[in-house]
Amino acid sequence: MSTPQPLNIEFAKDDQGRLALVDTNGIRHANVHPAKLFPLTEKDHWVSIQSEGAREILCIEDPQSLPEPSRTLLLEALARRDFVPIILVIHRIVRLANGHEWHVTTDRGDTRFEVETDESIQPLGHGRLVVMDRGNTRYLIPNVAKLDRISKRKLEHYY
Amino acid sequence: MTDLDAGLHFRHGLIVLTNNRLLHFEAEGTSQPSFVAWKLADLQEFKLEEMGATIALHLMGNGTLLGQWRVTSGCLRQAEAFLARFREQCRTPSGEATDAENGDNEKEDDEEEIFAAEIDDDAIPPGKPLLRLLSFARPWYRLLFLGLVLTMASTGAQMIAPWLTMSLVDDVLIPLQSQTELVQVRKVYVFITELALAALLTWALNWGKTFVVARIAEHVTSRMRRETFEHLQKLSLTYFNRKRTGDLISRIGSDTEHLSLFISVNFIDFFCDVLQFIFTAVILFSINPLLAVAALGPVPIVAWLVQRVREHLRGGFAAASRAGSQLTSVLADTIPGVRVVKAFAQEQREIERFRVADKHIFDTNDRVNKTWSFFTPMIKLLTDLGLLIVWAVGAWSVAHDSITVGVLTGFVLYISSFYERMDSMSRFTASMQRAAASAHRVFDVLDVKPDVPVQRNAIKVGRLRGEIEFRDVKFRYGSREIIRGISLKIAPGEMVGFVGPSGAGKTTLVNLACRFFEVSEGAVLVDGFNLSDVDVMDYRRNLGLVLQEPYLFYGTIAENIAYGKPDATRAEIVAAARAARAHDFIMRLADAYDSLVGERGQQLSGGERQRISIARALLLEVNHA
Repeated sequence: MSTPQPLNIEFAKDDQGRLALVDTNGIRHANVHPAKLFPLTEKDHWVSIQSEGAREILCIEDPQSLPEPSRTLLLEALARRDFVPIILVIHRIVRLANGHEWHVTTDRGDTRFEVETDESIQPLGHGRLVVMDRGNTRYLIPNVAKLDRISKRKLEHYY
Repeated sequence: MTDLDAGLHFRHGLIVLTNNRLLHFEAEGTSQPSFVAWKLADLQEFKLEEMGATIALHLMGNGTLLGQWRVTSGCLRQAEAFLARFREQCRTPSGEATDAENGDNEKEDDEEEIFAAEIDDDAIPPGKPLLRLLSFARPWYRLLFLGLVLTMASTGAQMIAPWLTMSLVDDVLIPLQSQTELVQVRKVYVFITELALAALLTWALNWGKTFVVARIAEHVTSRMRRETFEHLQKLSLTYFNRKRTGDLISRIGSDTEHLSLFISVNFIDFFCDVLQFIFTAVILFSINPLLAVAALGPVPIVAWLVQRVREHLRGGFAAASRAGSQLTSVLADTIPGVRVVKAFAQEQREIERFRVADKHIFDTNDRVNKTWSFFTPMIKLLTDLGLLIVWAVGAWSVAHDSITVGVLTGFVLYISSFYERMDSMSRFTASMQRAAASAHRVFDVLDVKPDVPVQRNAIKVGRLRGEIEFRDVKFRYGSREIIRGISLKIAPGEMVGFVGPSGAGKTTLVNLACRFFEVSEGAVLVDGFNLSDVDVMDYRRNLGLVLQEPYLFYGTIAENIAYGKPDATRAEIVAAARAARAHDFIMRLADAYDSLVGERGQQLSGGERQRISIARALLLEVNHA
């Protein structure tokens, strides 16, 4: 019952830089956008292609299996939409009047963000941790055990 | 086998069926046992009618009511069996069997049991549950032994310092002051070093002891928590329907915590105190028996006082613990049901309910504290008096040259450190009571036998086709008869809907088919297997269940869908979600399948929750297809 991998599909870019899809039946869908099914736990697989009206057209299990240039176009589109920085190092966590402020190094560079409550730090199993800031941006710690000792110590107070 | 009289007071009675007669005895209590008898030939019908918590037995004959008896629901099964026997007997022509009145006497009475259950559980003997606690420590006996050795060593090490002080005073300080003889000042350094070493030794041993003991305590309580929870998971739904959630939570949560504290702190302290007591007594007597008697004189008085207070505290702590779980219950009730509370604008009433529970805690604790606050200073007073006696007898002895000043100093040091412990020793009774109450509450859960019994040699059914048959099924919940003889066959793949008014037993049928409840009579057959012979776990792997009130566990949506099959692939999860028409709304959530649901986190609508729980049930189907 699993979704068969649609291989004969094609992505294109229109004049306005929007993504377009030509599906298995040769029908062209303009202005589609990709969405990940598992943005936090399996971010490199399972992409749903949604139409303008947020309806799913089809689902791609492994984007890497697409032929070029479609693959690059899709991955680019995903990269534009997807923003889940991965926390590499925690420098400090400052307790504020309401919430706390994190100073971290992520895979996208150094940053600081504010977190509302302790409940904004949520475990996703297998040592995975997601931190949600005030603006609902998600920061991921893929494996708490693999953080360095000092970062872990800092984290201990809050999670 | 009747246990109530006409006025519904408890009284034993006996209905006896013989080959041609029916007799009724009304037993003890009355001046003389009365008994009535009827000839079977005159009797028409024996009817059983449920009247609330009790059951009425009507004996009809020649169109009139001949006799009426009442029994409690505890006797129900017996009564039914009796009834069946009666009908059988009536059918057989009574002329044949004449006076062979044998065998058929129904004399089993379980009244004893009914009354035994009423015994007040207030009086908890502290020894028993605590001794049982020890059995939980068995796997760590080596650690236990190490802890014991360390405890003895550290207590012994504490005894060194006063001993050294004695010599310090006699051999160095007094001569130094009186300057009668030549004193080597170097001796002072030796003593100081020795004292420092003794302190160091005590510190190290104490450290080791505390750590080892705390570890044992943690092991024991973690095992208790685990076992209690495991046991709880095995218990049937009937048990959970009877119990309050908050109460169970507090038993596993805080009661085991009390026990941990008791083992790691209170019990070991007490053990040290007893050791110290023995050591001190031995040392004191070996130095000077007279002074030792004077110093230890107040001990019996204190011991007596402790005994007295123990009685007062015993009930108090059990009550406090109960009051605490009552409060948890109110919380567990109100917080999840907050929508209902607000909808009916009953905040004030819940506040009041909480206030009452809180006041109850306050009162029980206050009662305990009253005894308590008197007791602690009392010990202190006695301690001071004891010290006064030592000073007085000591001074007198020094004046009469029977002891030296050093010996007196040593005595005072020993005895004051000893009395210091007396205070904590007396605290032990209280903590022991508390721990015993907690242990009792935990063991109470552990001792409940699962009422869907685990079958030996149960049939492993594997994958079933799904033919369900109800054969003359009757089900009774307490004294309430819910299903009265239903027979029904459902073919594999057939879709069946049950329609009926509330309380008709629709859900009960499902519960019986899932074997959450055991049928009272008749049988549920699945693919020809009688459910009561089947391995429950194995059978339930065939089931998917969607409840009226879908329950989502704390976790991601993907985890919730995969609840029945934790190793499901992502393709299976997505396929199940699509089949339940949940995929589209899941994709609209910010984290799609990784969104957190359950107690906190992403809020879903009731319909959305329902769809996720449908996907959960469908995943099993996907898995087998």
